[in-house]
Amino acid sequence: MIPAPQSDSARLITPTMLVLGLVLATVPLWIARVGLYPYLGIEILIWSLYALAFNLVLGTAGLPSFGHGAYFGIGAYAFGLCQFNVVANLWACLAAAFAVAGLAGALVALFISHRRGIYYAFMTIAFGQIFWTVAIKSHKVTGGEDGLLKIARLPADFGFASFDLAGNVAFYYFVLIVFGIAVIALWRLVHSPYGRVIAAIKQSETRAAHLGYNVWLYKASIFVLSAAVSGFAGGLFAMAQLAAFPDVMSLHQSGYVVMMTLVGGGLVSFWGPVIGVFLFLIARDVIGAMTNAWMLYFGLLFIAVVLFRPEGVAGAIMAAWQNRSLNSMRQQGGTALRLLFGGGRWR
Amino acid sequence: MFDLLPHILNGLTLGLLFALIALGFMLIVGLMEQINLAHGSLFALGAYFAMQLMGPRPPFPADLAQSWLALPLGWRYAATLILAPAAVGLVGIAIEFCMRRTYGKDPLYGLLLTFGAAMVIEEMIRLTWGTRDYVLQVPQAVNGGFIFGDLIWSTYRFYAAGIAAAVIGLVWLLIEKTSFGATVKAGAHDSEIVRALGINLTRLRLLVFVFGTMLAAIAGIIVAPIWGIRPHMGVDAVIPAFLVIVLGGVGSFWGAVVAGLLVGLAVGLSGAYASEWSLLSMYVLLVAVVTFRARGLWGKKSVLEA
Repeated sequence: MIPAPQSDSARLITPTMLVLGLVLATVPLWIARVGLYPYLGIEILIWSLYALAFNLVLGTAGLPSFGHGAYFGIGAYAFGLCQFNVVANLWACLAAAFAVAGLAGALVALFISHRRGIYYAFMTIAFGQIFWTVAIKSHKVTGGEDGLLKIARLPADFGFASFDLAGNVAFYYFVLIVFGIAVIALWRLVHSPYGRVIAAIKQSETRAAHLGYNVWLYKASIFVLSAAVSGFAGGLFAMAQLAAFPDVMSLHQSGYVVMMTLVGGGLVSFWGPVIGVFLFLIARDVIGAMTNAWMLYFGLLFIAVVLFRPEGVAGAIMAAWQNRSLNSMRQQGGTALRLLFGGGRWR
Repeated sequence: MFDLLPHILNGLTLGLLFALIALGFMLIVGLMEQINLAHGSLFALGAYFAMQLMGPRPPFPADLAQSWLALPLGWRYAATLILAPAAVGLVGIAIEFCMRRTYGKDPLYGLLLTFGAAMVIEEMIRLTWGTRDYVLQVPQAVNGGFIFGDLIWSTYRFYAAGIAAAVIGLVWLLIEKTSFGATVKAGAHDSEIVRALGINLTRLRLLVFVFGTMLAAIAGIIVAPIWGIRPHMGVDAVIPAFLVIVLGGVGSFWGAVVAGLLVGLAVGLSGAYASEWSLLSMYVLLVAVVTFRARGLWGKKSVLEA
C-alpha cells in the first residue's frame, strides 16, 4: 500500500530545507569565484534568520512591526556587553543576546498588544526610536555612534572539542549550522497548534477571541519570541562585524527588513524572507558596485513588486510552480508527482 | 513660571510647525485612508525646489532667468511659495497614478508603495543636489530678530508659526465649509453612493492626494530656514507627521492640530531641560497616550486599524 502523502508542514525537516542546506554548505567553495566574498554569505545567513524571526510577527501574525531593528541591535549590544562584563563564553553571550532582546520585546509587548493596525504600527516605531536614541546617547555603555568595538568571535566550545571561529569560512559554517537549527525550530513553531492559533488571529482577532483564545497573550508572546530570535541573530551579527553599531536600530534599517520580507514574499510563504534577503543583499553588492544610487533602483524594484506582484517573489514562484506541477500531473497523471509537489512545500 | 514662558512660547510655535508638517499627511489619511510615507520626501522636495528657485541659478531659460533674478526678493519668495508646491504636485500626480492600483486592498500596500517612492525621491535628491546642506534665502522683512522682555526672539519663527496657523485655518475652511470638502468627505465615507451621484471619484481622489502633497511642499518651504535643507530632512519630517496623526487619532482634524501643539510643547520644554533627550519626548508622549486610548486623542473608526 502506498502511504498517504505526508504534508511538509508535518515534517521536521522538509526537502526544501535539505536542498537549501546542501547548496548553502557549498557556498564557501565557489563564492569567491563568482566575484563575491565569503563574508557576504555570513551576512545573508544572519539577515535571513533575522527576517524569518521578523516574519513571525508580520507574515504569520499579521502584525505590522516597523521598529524591529531595535531587537536585532539590542541582541548585538547584549552579546558584546556580556562578552566584556560577564563571561567571554560563546553560548552564554548568545543566550544573553536572545534573552535581553526577548525582555525588551516583552516590555514593548506589554504596551502594544491590545492595539491594532496603524496604532500598533506606530507604537512599534516609537519604541524602536526610543531604543535607538538610548543606544546612541548612552556613550558609556554602547559607545554611542562609534559603536561597541572589539567584539571577538569567541570559540565554539563543546566541552570535548573547541572550534576557532575567527576565520570567515569557519564562522560561515558555524552560522549555517545555527541557522539550520533555527529554521527547523521556526518551521515547527509556525506549524504547531500555537502557530495555527496565531494564523487564526491574523485572519480575525474577533473570531479568535470568540473561540476562547486569549488573543492578547498570543499577540504578546509571538512578539516576544520574534524579538528574542531577532536578538539572537543580532548577537551573531555582532560577531560577524566584530562590533555592534546603533545604525541597525534606525528606522531605515528596520524598514529594510520589512522590504526584504515583502519583496521575497513573506506574507504567503515561510521562505519568502530568505528569498528577499538574498535578493536585497546581492542586489546591494552587485548594483552597488556599478552605481552609488543602488537604493534608487531597489526602490523602483520595490514599487514594481508592490504594484504588480504584491505577494512577492515566493508568491510568483508558487504560482508558476503550481501551474507547472498541475500541467505535468495532467500529462503523466502520476501519484508520484503529487507526492513530490503536492505537499504545499512552499507554504 | 515666568522663566518657563519663553519655552512654552517656543514650544507652541514649534507645535504649529509640527501641525503644519502633519497637515498634508492628515488630509490623505483622513479622506483617503491611505498612509503616504512619501510625505517627508515631498516635504524635502518642496524645500529643494524652493532653494533652487530662490538661488543664483533658477531652473529657467537664460532670458527668463535674467528677469526672474531682477525681481525683488520678496516677490520671488511669494512666487516660489506657489511655484515649488505646484512642481511637487506634479510628482504627487505620478505617485497617485501608481497608488490607484492599491485602493480597496489592504492599506499596507499603499504604505509600502509610498515607502518605495520615498526611497526613490530621497535618492534622487542625493543624486541631484548631493549630500551637503543648503540654506533657503528669505526676504529681509521676516529675517533677523527682535527684542521683547529682555529676550531676543527670532522673527522668522513667528512668521512661520503665523503662516502655519493661516494654512491650517484655510484647510479647515476648505474641508468643513465648501461643497468640495463635503463631497470629498462623503467620498471617504461611502464611495459607492458618491459614485452613483455622478461624481468622478477618481478625479476627486487625485485632487485630494495632490493637495496633500502640495501642503507637504509648503510645509517644507516654511520649515526649511529653521531646519536647514539636507537629504535627511524628509525622514526628519515624516516621522513627526505620522506621530502627530496617530497621537491625534486618524480622521480627527483638531486632534491632529492639538497633537501637533502637544508634541511641540513636549519637545520645546524637554529641550530646555534635557536637550540630549528632547527628541525622545514625543515618542514617550505617544506611548503614554496610545497605551490608554485606543484611537489616540479623538480618532475615529477606520480601515487602518483592521
